Amino acid sequence: MAAADPRPLAELDEPMLVEACLAQQAGAFDLIVERHRRSVYMLCYRFVSNHEDASDLSQDVFLRAYRGLRSFRGHSSLATWLYRIGVNVCLNRVSARTTLGKLTEPMDERQFIDVRAESPSDRMLKDERGARVRAAIAQLPRKQRATLILRTYHEMSHQEIADVLGSSVGAVKANFFHALGNLKKLLAEEI
Amino acid sequence: MHLNAEELVDLADGAQPESSAPHLAACESCRAQLRELRAMMLVTSDAIVPEPSPLFWDHLSSRVRDAVAVEASPRREWFDVSAWRRLLTPVFAVAAAGLVLALVVNVRGTISRPGAAPRAVIAVADAGAGLDLLNDVAADEDASLTLVASLTDDADLDTVREAGLAPAGSAEHAVTHMSGVELRELGRMLKEEMARSGA
Repeated sequence: MAAADPRPLAELDEPMLVEACLAQQAGAFDLIVERHRRSVYMLCYRFVSNHEDASDLSQDVFLRAYRGLRSFRGHSSLATWLYRIGVNVCLNRVSARTTLGKLTEPMDERQFIDVRAESPSDRMLKDERGARVRAAIAQLPRKQRATLILRTYHEMSHQEIADVLGSSVGAVKANFFHALGNLKKLLAEEI
Repeated sequence: MHLNAEELVDLADGAQPESSAPHLAACESCRAQLRELRAMMLVTSDAIVPEPSPLFWDHLSSRVRDAVAVEASPRREWFDVSAWRRLLTPVFAVAAAGLVLALVVNVRGTISRPGAAPRAVIAVADAGAGLDLLNDVAADEDASLTLVASLTDDADLDTVREAGLAPAGSAEHAVTHMSGVELRELGRMLKEEMARSGA
């Protein structure tokens, strides 16, 4: 086992932080969670469209990451590695049970939406539109949904998505194309 | 030939300029597909996730910390040899005690038989050094053997038979079903045999 880096944890780069975790250095994994909790939560939310499940899934993602930290080789970024875990966890969850009953959250759960320079009616309209789109995304086939989420909301490259999903760049682009086509149909059906 | 999904995505993404696809200028269908693709990308990107409470993040960290702490606490693995040893030691002890019980009952029962037969059997036991567990110093020091001996003090041949320790056809069964004459003859033969072998 490598000697512990004397620098403060906050100054460590990702591989060193992972090393610190593996060396059981106090607070190292906490820092990883702190750095990635938002993006992991957002990813989970995109899959399940409700806060409660997204919160549970986020915890599950980090717990799995902790268990598998020794297998992290640093070939991809820690974020990509966490996304890969997140996508697997989420796809397993959404295939295990339908989320249709929870697709639209009650308004009191949305009270923390950024309200910068938006009128209440504009905000409500945007909320409703967003909820409809999320509901439609939740009906997409698993790989199309994962591709759309990672590409649109996490700005991952096609190559990164291919790494996460274990597929080719061509397949990712095809999935993205079909996801948008299916989404258009689903939203049209709703109107 | 129309643009395929991959080419349309590259154009919609801006990964490839439209000038790289001359077909686009001549094909209204492909242009329409590209427009729809871009429109849907805009619609989806507009669907924001409700931001949770600022307090939520620390709560999430805390939940993860607790879960990791449980995960990191020492666990008993299935291949943990010491755990298996702890589990199986009483089982082996009971099995060993049962074996010793059977042996002691057998020897005691033979000793307690009236008449000449015990002498013959005792002679065999003496010849086989180590079989006389009740006179063994090590056995005396062994609490479990002492316990077994006290429990079986009153056991006789009937008890042995009832316990199924001398099933028909076994040597024990044959000995326990001999008449007094037969037993005396057996004792004599054994003594002769031992005298010949110098035991």
